[in-house]
Amino acid sequence: MNNVINVIDREGEKHILEWEPDQSLMESLRDNDLPVMASCGGTASCATCHIFLDRDVVVSLGERSEDELELLVETECYDESSSRLSCQVRHDPSLNGLNVVLAPEE
Amino acid sequence: MSDKSVVIVGAGHAGVQAAGRLRELGWHGGVIIIDQESHAPYERPPLSKDLLKPDAQDDSALLRKASYFQDKDITLKPATSVLQIDRQKRMVALSDGSGLPYHRLVLATGSSARKLTIPGSELAGVQVLKTKTDALTLKSGLIAGSKVVILGAGYIGLEVAAAAAARGCNVTVLEFQDRVMNRVTSSVVSHYFQKLHESHGIRFAFGSAASHIEGDGRAERVFTTDGAMFEADVVLVGIGVVPHQGLAENAGLECNDGILVDENGLTSDPYVYAAGDVTRSICPFEGTSRRLECIQNALSQADQVASHILGLEPKKPEVPWFWTIQHGLRLQTAGIQQPEDEVLLRGNPADGRFSVLYLRSGRLAAIDTVGGLADFLPGKKLIAAGVELDRTLAADPGAGLAQSARPVAA
Repeated sequence: MNNVINVIDREGEKHILEWEPDQSLMESLRDNDLPVMASCGGTASCATCHIFLDRDVVVSLGERSEDELELLVETECYDESSSRLSCQVRHDPSLNGLNVVLAPEE
Repeated sequence: MSDKSVVIVGAGHAGVQAAGRLRELGWHGGVIIIDQESHAPYERPPLSKDLLKPDAQDDSALLRKASYFQDKDITLKPATSVLQIDRQKRMVALSDGSGLPYHRLVLATGSSARKLTIPGSELAGVQVLKTKTDALTLKSGLIAGSKVVILGAGYIGLEVAAAAAARGCNVTVLEFQDRVMNRVTSSVVSHYFQKLHESHGIRFAFGSAASHIEGDGRAERVFTTDGAMFEADVVLVGIGVVPHQGLAENAGLECNDGILVDENGLTSDPYVYAAGDVTRSICPFEGTSRRLECIQNALSQADQVASHILGLEPKKPEVPWFWTIQHGLRLQTAGIQQPEDEVLLRGNPADGRFSVLYLRSGRLAAIDTVGGLADFLPGKKLIAAGVELDRTLAADPGAGLAQSARPVAA
C-alpha cells in the first residue's frame, strides 16, 4: 500500500506525494522532483536529505544511527526532536499521512 | 512533446541527474537518454561495497524507481550506443542505425577502468570493476578459499579486498607505490587502513608492479617486475580510470584527458555540454584544471548543465567530496589534499576515530574523517569559506571544528 505524505518545500509550498513501499522517504522525495540532492545515494554520508518530522513520529521511529546523528548535529538547523535524514526512514504503513518539512540547504 | 530535445549520452549519475533536473526545472521539450548498458540506471557505489557482501542480493539500488522515466516523460534507450556526433546538423548517429536530432547534447559518458596491457591481461579471470555486469562476474568468483590478487591499492582495490576477505578469500594486493590510497590521502590514513586490512588477513606487496600473468586459458599466476609470483584464481585490476571521451574527440570537441568544460558544463561547442567523470574543468576551490571522479561532481555538473540549458542561475559549486567503506570503517574526505599540504592530526588513531586536516597557507584545503562524521560538515564548510584555522584549536577534538576558524583579518 502506498502512503500519502504531505511535504513542505523550502519555499513553504505544500506537495502531496505518494510514497511507495520499496522506497526510502528520500527516494520518494527525490523521485517526485523535490530538490533533495541525496548525493550519497542514501548511505547517511552527506546530510543533503535532511528533513523535519513531527516529534512523536521521530520518537516512534527509534534511535538514529551514529553516522546519521553525527551528520545531523552539525547541520545549521538541527533540531533534536524533529531532524532526520530522509534516506534513513523506511516505508511503513503507519507513516501514512506523514508530514515532512525539507530542511534548508547547508 | 516539442521537437526540441535534449539528448543525453550515458545513464550514470550525471546523465540521470541532468534528465531529472531538466524536468524539475521545467524543461518542456524532449529528454532522451541513450545508454550503452542494458540494466536500468543504477547506483555505482554499492558495486564495490554492499553488492559484494556475502549476504547481498544481486540487485544494487536503482538511481530512480523503475516507473520514474516514463512518469517524467524521459525517454530511456538502453543497450544503444552513440556512434557519431554531427555537430553541423546537430544529430547523433545511433547503433540501431537511426539518427537523432538534438536541440542540446549532454555527454555524460563517464570513464572506463584503465586496462592492464601486460601479457596475460586477456586471460579469463582478469577483470576490472566498473559496471554492474563486472560486479556480478566478480562476485561469482569470490568463493571462500579462492586466491584473489588485486592490482592497485586505491578505493576500488581496497573495497574489493575487504569484500573478498569477508567472503573467506585469500587476498593479496599489489601496489606500485609504497602505501595504500597514495593518491588520495596522507600517510597517517594510509597506514591506518593498511593495518586494518592486515588485521583481516590481507597481504600487501608495495613497490610491486605486475609484469605478466600466466595460466591455461584462465589466470593462475601473477608475476611482478621484481621477480615475485602470486597464485591467483581471480585478478582484479583497480589501477584508475580514463575518461570515456572518444565520441567527443572524434567530433572535434576540445579534450585533454577529459572533455574540457566551463563552469556551466559547456564544451567548446555551444550546443554540447558534458558532465561527470568524463569532464575536465577548473576546480573553483583550487584554481587548477582537473577531472573529478566522484558523485558529488557528477550531480553538481549535471545541475549546472540543466540550469544553463534553461537559462537559470546555477547553484554555488559544492566542495568535492568522496567516501569509501572498508571492513565497515568509513573514510570520508572533503576537498582535495596535495602532497605539499601541512598535515594536522585531530584526535587519536588508537581510538578508531580521528580526522586529518590538510592546511595550505594556513587555510583548510581538505579533511579526512576516519570512523566518524562529526567533523565532515564543519570541515566542508571551512574549506568552502577558505578561512584560516587556529592550529591548536583545530587539533583539539574536544572543541568543535567549526570553532577553530580564525576571525578574518580586516
